[in-house]
Amino acid sequence: MSAFLEYVPGTSPLHRMNPVAKLAAAALFAVACFCSSNLVFLAVLLACGFALAATCGMLRPAVGLAKAVFAFSLILTLVQILTTPTGAVLVALPWGYIGTGSLLAALTTVVRLVAAAIPLFLVFYVTKMNDITNAVVKVLHVPYKYAFTFTSTIHFIPLFMNDMKGIMEAQTARGVEFDAGGIVRKVRLMVPLCVPLLVSSVRKTNSAAIAAEVRGFNLRTASSGYKEYPFAAFDVAAMAAAVALVVCAVALGIVL
Amino acid sequence: MIEISNFSFQYREGATPVVQGIDLAIPDGAFVGITGAAGSGKSTLTYALNGIIPHCYPGDFYGSVVVDGLDTCDVALTDVSRLVGSVCQDVDSQFVTSVVEDEMLYGLENFGVPRDEIEGRLEQALDDMGIADLRDRTITSLSGGQKQKVAIASILALNPRVLVLDEPTAELDPASSRSVFDLLARYAREHGATVVVVEQKIALLSQYADMLVIVDEGRIRFADAPAKVLEHSGELERIGVNCPRSTTLMNRLRAEGLYQGPSVRNVREAREALEEVLA
Amino acid sequence: MIEFKDVHVSYEASAPILKGVNFAIRDGEFVAFVGTNGAGKSTTMRLMNGLLKPDAGQVLIDGVSTAELRTSELARRVGFLFQNPDRQICCTTVREELLFGFRALGQAGAEADARVDAIIEEFGFDPDDDPFLLNRGARQLLALASIVVLAPPVVVLDEPTTGLDYRECEKVMAIIRRIHEQGATVIMVCHDMEVVADYATRCIVMSDGRVVDDAPTFEVLRNRDTLERASLVPPQIVDLSLELGRAIPRLADAPVGSANTVDEMLAAVVEEARGAQDEERSVSA
Repeated sequence: MSAFLEYVPGTSPLHRMNPVAKLAAAALFAVACFCSSNLVFLAVLLACGFALAATCGMLRPAVGLAKAVFAFSLILTLVQILTTPTGAVLVALPWGYIGTGSLLAALTTVVRLVAAAIPLFLVFYVTKMNDITNAVVKVLHVPYKYAFTFTSTIHFIPLFMNDMKGIMEAQTARGVEFDAGGIVRKVRLMVPLCVPLLVSSVRKTNSAAIAAEVRGFNLRTASSGYKEYPFAAFDVAAMAAAVALVVCAVALGIVL
Repeated sequence: MIEISNFSFQYREGATPVVQGIDLAIPDGAFVGITGAAGSGKSTLTYALNGIIPHCYPGDFYGSVVVDGLDTCDVALTDVSRLVGSVCQDVDSQFVTSVVEDEMLYGLENFGVPRDEIEGRLEQALDDMGIADLRDRTITSLSGGQKQKVAIASILALNPRVLVLDEPTAELDPASSRSVFDLLARYAREHGATVVVVEQKIALLSQYADMLVIVDEGRIRFADAPAKVLEHSGELERIGVNCPRSTTLMNRLRAEGLYQGPSVRNVREAREALEEVLA
Repeated sequence: MIEFKDVHVSYEASAPILKGVNFAIRDGEFVAFVGTNGAGKSTTMRLMNGLLKPDAGQVLIDGVSTAELRTSELARRVGFLFQNPDRQICCTTVREELLFGFRALGQAGAEADARVDAIIEEFGFDPDDDPFLLNRGARQLLALASIVVLAPPVVVLDEPTTGLDYRECEKVMAIIRRIHEQGATVIMVCHDMEVVADYATRCIVMSDGRVVDDAPTFEVLRNRDTLERASLVPPQIVDLSLELGRAIPRLADAPVGSANTVDEMLAAVVEEARGAQDEERSVSA
C-alpha cells in the first residue's frame, strides 16, 4: 500500500483528467459542501465522493481518510453540541441544553468536513505531483519556483514520515516505551526525537536542493515542461458539474 | 578532459583545508576510481569536479579546476552541469518526482532539450541502465538497486561528457553493486564518456577502473593504473585503504620470491598467476 | 536461545516477505545472515526484537513468544543496532546518549554512570562532544556503544559496516568480537563477505523469504550451489581456492583447495611450490 498522499498509478478517468481541472473541480466540490447546511444534500455529496473514489480504485484510502477526518471533526462537533441549544431538549446543561437540533448540527458538520475532504485528497492519490506542478505552471502561469516549493513539500511528507517511523522504532528498540501507554505519553516521548528528525530533514533538503540545481533547476521556465495539459470535453464537463453543485448548494440554501 | 592544478579548498566553517595541493589530469574517456579513508577529502574532490564547489559550498578555493576547457570558477554551476553529470550519494533526496518517467524528463526539460529528441534520449538512457521496464513505476516501489539505476539514468539522459558518482553502491548488495558497475563500464565504452566514481569497495574499483586515485589527508597519495597502485598494499593499509585479498596474497608471494608478475586486481588474475606458479 | 518456528510475514497488499522460516540460535553463537537485498534478512532481524510480529508461526526468545512481549520490554534482552545511526542518536552530548538507554529502561544510577564512564574510556570518546557533529564512522561507533553499554545478552546488528571505511569497519568489528567473547550472542546481517568470513562462525543464507542454507560459515561459503542460488559473491580467497581446485584437479584435495584465509593460502602455495621445487631437484639429482 502506498503512503499518505502518495500517487497510486492507474488509468481510470480520474487519473487521466487534466490536473488543473481535477484541482478546480475538487475545490469547487469543497465550496459546495461549505455553501450548504442541508444534511440530505451533504449526504449525497459524501456518497458522490465515495463513488468517485470507487471509480479509481481508491475506496480503501478514502474510507481511511474519512475516518481520520471524522476523528478530527469530533472535537469540533463536541463544542457544537454543547453550545447550540436548539430543537427538543435531550439533556439539560447548566448553561442551556443539548437538543435534537444540536445533534443535527453536529452531524451536518461531520458530514460536511468529510465530504469536502475526500475529493481534495483524492486528487493527490490519482495525480502525479509532477503533473500538478507542470500543469499549474503551464496553464495557470504560477511561477515555477512557488509550484516547486509546494510540490516538494508534499513530496517530502512521506519521506519524513518514514524517517520519524524509523526513529521511533530505533528508540523503541532501546527501551523507550512507544508501544505502551496513551497518546499524551507518546507525544511526550516524541519531543526529544525532533532533534534527529530535524537534522536528517535539513540534510535531505540541502542535498535535494543541490541535486535539483545540478540538473538545471535554474534554467527552467514555464514552457520547459515536455507534457502538454490540454482540456478535454470530460474536463470541461467535470468542472461544469462542480459549478452546478455549488449553484445547487446556494439555491437550496435560499429555497429552504 | 579534466585538469586540476594545485587545488586546495577549505570550507568556511572548517579550521584546516580539506584538500590541498591536488594535481590531477583525467584523460577523455577514462574510468577513474577515487578512494581513501573517511574524511580524507575524496567527496570534496568530486564536488570540485562537478562545480558544487565553489558554487554551493562557500570557502577558500585555491588553484584551478578546468573541465573541457571551462574553468569551473569562471562559469555558472549550470554550465558545468551541462558537461558533468552528478549522481549524489543520497539518491532518495535526489528524486524530485514520484514516477520514473517524470524523473527522467526533469533534467531534459530544464536543459531545454528539443521536444523531438526527448523521447529518444529517454529511451536510450533507460536502455543504457537496463531498466526500460521500470519506466512507469513509482519510485517508492523500487528496490535500492533499481533506484540507483534510475538516478544514474536520469543523469545519462542529459548526455554528459563526464559522469561523477559519489558512492553509488554504498547501500547495495554485492550482486547489485556489480550490476551497477557493469552498466557504467558499458556506458563509458559505448559512448566514450569519462566516468569518475568515489567508492569504498576497492575490489570493485580495482576491477573496473583504469585509473585508481588514492586520497589521504587531503592529498593525492597515488594516481595510476590499479595494478601499479596495488603494488603498495602495505602503505595503502597504513592509510586506511584495504587491498583486495587476492592482491594482498600475491603481493606477499612476491615478497616470498615465488611470484614476479604485476599486482593482480581480482580473483581471476590471481588464479591465472597462481596456475603458472603451481603448474 | 532464539527460535523461529515456521515464521510467515507479509506486509499489507504485497507478496509475502517470509515464507516459513525455521532456525534456532543457541546462546553465545556468532551468526551472519546473508543474501541479496529483499531476501527477507532485515525482516528477520526486526522479528527478533518484536518490532514486527509474525503473521503465522512463532518467534521465541528464551522460550517466550515475542507476540506476548512489547519491543521496549524485549530491549533488555535484545540490543539492536540499526543500519542508520542517525535514527538512533537523539541526545546532545555523547555522555547523555550513552545514558539514554539506561534511563529508558529505568536503570539510571551509580552503576549506569560507572558503565558509561568505562565505555567512554574504552572507545576513546570525548563525553562532551555533540554526536551530530561527529563523522559517520564515529556516529556508528557511538550508536554501537550505546547498545553495548547496556550489556544485552543478545545483540542484533543490521549491516554494521555499511558506509564505513576499512579502519572504522575494523574498529566496529573488534568491539563486536569482544562482546561475543564475553558471552553475548551476536546476530548480524552483512553484505561484506570478507567480514562474514573473518568473524561469523555460522552463516544462514536467505533467498526469496526462505532459509536456503544454514551451516558453519566456510561450509556455506564453499558451497557453489548455495552461492549461486542466493546470488552471493564468495570471499576472494575462498573463490580463488575453489577456482584453483577446479582448474588443477590435484589441488582440490591439497591445502590450496581448502584454504580460507590469506595466511592459509600463502602457506599452502608456499608448501606446494617448494614441494614441487624439491621434487624437481630430486629428479634432476
